[in-house]
Amino acid sequence: MEEDRRKDDEDNKLALQFMDSLHNYLSLTHSLSSTLRQGWLELASAKHSMGTSRVNTSVLDLKSHSASTTLKITENDDGTQPQFTLQKWVSSEHESTKLEDKNEHPQDSDTKSSDNDEVRKERDKSLSVFGVLISPKLRATQLSFEKALETLIDIANMRSSVLNSFTQLHKEVEDTKE
Amino acid sequence: MANRAQVPTNNSSLIAMIADEDTIVGFLLAGVGNVDIRRKTNYLIVDSKTTVKQIEDAFKEFTSRDDIAIVLISQFVANMIRFLVDSYNKPVPAILEIPSKDHPYDPAHDSVLSRVKYLFNTESVAGDRR
Repeated sequence: MEEDRRKDDEDNKLALQFMDSLHNYLSLTHSLSSTLRQGWLELASAKHSMGTSRVNTSVLDLKSHSASTTLKITENDDGTQPQFTLQKWVSSEHESTKLEDKNEHPQDSDTKSSDNDEVRKERDKSLSVFGVLISPKLRATQLSFEKALETLIDIANMRSSVLNSFTQLHKEVEDTKE
Repeated sequence: MANRAQVPTNNSSLIAMIADEDTIVGFLLAGVGNVDIRRKTNYLIVDSKTTVKQIEDAFKEFTSRDDIAIVLISQFVANMIRFLVDSYNKPVPAILEIPSKDHPYDPAHDSVLSRVKYLFNTESVAGDRR
């Protein structure tokens, strides 16, 4: 009887974990839609002020270059799922320097100021593909899509959590049927 | 002890994209664009001239590269290769379906939600209670 109660508690805990992660996943997807809509609107404004011929993929740099914003993949605590961490605006000249890694140790104000300069430099480099004189709306677009990226990484991690708890719950349901 | 698939770890992985032009431009502004020495990019711009085969080839290429951690794909593009997307089951790269300007997000087509909706299927629940 005690064992049955313990099993019921574990099943309830699994079900709650699954529902929680599913709820968070849906909230994040809703938030992403909202952020992307903002980004597209700002991009449309930038195109309107700068001209469509200046803001499109035909001006993209197809010379070899590395991404400034990358991901770090680690294992989660039990080693069953990947954990993604966004690394924003890592300078191509200093690839070992993580400028906006959330897990970085606290820095002094001089280092922070230098890092902010590097981030600004990388952001400007990304914007310069579309010319020297750019609309403030294009900068706003950049910030919106950066925010969208952060949400996407949260979604990726939440997705792993949803699928993991679903697998465990599904296994419990199948075991109950037997 | 059950066998567990090992999670591949990496300190610097890319985000690949298969989406419409505006979405690609936006994310490139955020710094995710990468062009290697062979001039291969980590994105495919989908427009009215893009064929389903090109989308399939890009999806297969991005999901087999070990330097890519996440593949972003517009949901309307994923619907064109739905069988391929739904049958993909590796943890890395993760496939994330995103809305596009002209096609808002539809939870009915989300591959993660499709997988878990089994638990909310009334027949499966009723079957347990018999």
